[in-house]
Amino acid sequence: MKRFLCLLAGGLLSQGLLAQSNENWTEVNLAVTDNQVIPAYADFAAASASLSDAGNAFCAAPDESSLSHFREQFHASMDAWQGIQHIQFGPITYFNWNYRVHYWPDEKGTGGRQLDALIAGKNSEVLVLENFARESVGVQGFPALERLLFADDSLQALQSDQYRCQVTQTIAANISDIASGVHSRWVEEFRTTVANADDRGFFENAEDATIDFLKAQVESVRRVQQQKVEEIIGESAGQERVRRAESWRSGRSLRNLRVNVAALATLFNGNGTQATHLGSVLLPEDEVLVAEKFAILQSTLQALPDSFEEALAAEAGYASLQLVAAQLDTVFETLEASLKNTDLYLGFNSLDGD
Amino acid sequence: MQFNRREFIGLGSLLLGSPVLASHGQDTSSALFLSAASNSRDEHWIVGFRWQAEQAVPVFQHALPGRAHHIAIHEGLGIYIVIARRPGSYLWIGDLESGAFLAEITVPDDRHLFGHGVFSADGSRFYAPESDWQDMTGDSGRIVSWQVRRSSDSVSMERLDEHPSYGVGPHEILLMPDQDTLVVANGGIRTHPETGREKLNIDTMQPSLVYMSASTGQLFEQRFLEEHYHQASIRHMDQTADGLIAFGIQYEGEPFDSVPLIATHRRGEAIRTLWAPEPQQGQMSQYVGSVRFDNGGRVFAASCPRGNMITFWDSERGEMIDAVRSRDGCGICAMESGFLFTTGTGRIAWYDPVQAVTRDVNAEGFDKLFWDNHLSMVNPAMKG
Repeated sequence: MKRFLCLLAGGLLSQGLLAQSNENWTEVNLAVTDNQVIPAYADFAAASASLSDAGNAFCAAPDESSLSHFREQFHASMDAWQGIQHIQFGPITYFNWNYRVHYWPDEKGTGGRQLDALIAGKNSEVLVLENFARESVGVQGFPALERLLFADDSLQALQSDQYRCQVTQTIAANISDIASGVHSRWVEEFRTTVANADDRGFFENAEDATIDFLKAQVESVRRVQQQKVEEIIGESAGQERVRRAESWRSGRSLRNLRVNVAALATLFNGNGTQATHLGSVLLPEDEVLVAEKFAILQSTLQALPDSFEEALAAEAGYASLQLVAAQLDTVFETLEASLKNTDLYLGFNSLDGD
Repeated sequence: MQFNRREFIGLGSLLLGSPVLASHGQDTSSALFLSAASNSRDEHWIVGFRWQAEQAVPVFQHALPGRAHHIAIHEGLGIYIVIARRPGSYLWIGDLESGAFLAEITVPDDRHLFGHGVFSADGSRFYAPESDWQDMTGDSGRIVSWQVRRSSDSVSMERLDEHPSYGVGPHEILLMPDQDTLVVANGGIRTHPETGREKLNIDTMQPSLVYMSASTGQLFEQRFLEEHYHQASIRHMDQTADGLIAFGIQYEGEPFDSVPLIATHRRGEAIRTLWAPEPQQGQMSQYVGSVRFDNGGRVFAASCPRGNMITFWDSERGEMIDAVRSRDGCGICAMESGFLFTTGTGRIAWYDPVQAVTRDVNAEGFDKLFWDNHLSMVNPAMKG
């Protein structure tokens, strides 16, 4: 792969090399699929099944202990989701699954209003899973469940209103249903689609599939920087908007970020046992550079607490968050510059159309 | 969830009825294609190429003052006009044969262009949408007409008059065969130079399809989508010789909303919205980039650069009949048979409607170019 790209950079493209490259793209695609994507979806499916079980147990006997367990499973399931949130192609895009799992950002507070209306309606038919799947995306996923589980009076509210409790069960079951659907579609269908990308079925060719993984890598770094950090910390200290953070109710917005970056770094570097990983598509010196930038960013994030509130309360808290934004920017810029040393284009018309 | 072309086998049989069927690589040597393009150094070009012996052969490449969008061609005058991309302000005129620069015109300071324009059949007039952006509350769209004169070695364009477009953000514009009726896609989106390409009225936008007189500005007909689709920006379109319009939509609402992205319209009738089957409707990613009818006038192609897909539609049955994967594919031209298309990754390919497959055209002669949204063509083998 690297030899191929060095030759490309030297302008020595020929049909023979192109044919050679297709095998290499497939090797990268399958390495990422088998070592990162499918295991992460398997984790998400398993954690979400436990979340659903915890919901059922809680509503059967709602008390402090069972709520605490439900919340723990919420965190475990959210960790698993944040670890694969960057993949925005393939099965997760079927049936609006991505938005149904996690409708965010919800700038107009639509989800909250719809959830209140749903609970006030007390319609048991809505809570049949196949009906619930047709409800608004704002009531179906993690943000809605977080609202119900992490309010100050959650226990009392859920104990006193059986329907409200059933809504939490249904959301948890819905997330579990989707997670298991995405995982099985990858295992049973989409891995084959990726493996046979050169057959011009779903993909143009194997390189086209590699570009989808690279877009997941590069665009997610930028999205995390802008949506999950800069939008929250604002232009200067004192202008923070912590309630715009992704999971402020459960106090884990920075934990989400830490998981995202860890997953993106693993997507790039592999899990330590892989000979081939996504970073293999870059020139060797560029791959080293990007890996270094990821390591610096991860080290900064490791020192931060789980929530923006805690981070901002600490001395020099604002500066530490600015540093995270700057280091995310560095990772993005390094990836972009590295890609310019290859023949890989992530998009042009699709990025800023007209 | 993959495309199954066998489900759409109807396309090949429909296109077999087209007037001329040239096989790949034959009888196309005289077709000249023009497209705006950019490179990774953010340099912008007008590029001409011919499709000869299964290769895209570069004919000319000239630097532009900024990113461009559509290229209007007048074969009789032997000129082309590159229209600056929104919110640009230049019209760059070149010689069709050599590609050489002839003139550059800038619109007034209080105006910007939208990247589209159209010649009258005799070439004496050129119509282009503009924004009167100081008007931040009313219908700021304007249709400006220019008088075009060509001498042997120069070209002049005189700004003649202008009329309202009866909406905001007029985008693609067509001239109907009567040579007076302009069709205008009022995209509905308001922008301001101080905020660049930022969309300022997403909550209140009201896109429309307008038929108006090029000479008097009189409004003949204005059509809106249903009110709950008011964020569906009507942007790009094409017409058949008998007056059927097919248009593509760029939706500004939520990515999971169920909205039509393709529609057709004929004067005096209601808009007919067309839906792709799932999963293709969802994979279109709420964004259609370019629309072109085929040579036979029944089938049209609609590119979806965000969905990495080009879709093909039967305008009579109102159904999608095929879809092919195309990473960042956007520019489309109808060929004698099928369509040639270009992509933002630098690819040029031909869609073969009989086999329902795409075939790459060798484009190694171009140095890492990203093709912009629209592809234009002069093809003596075809009319129009």
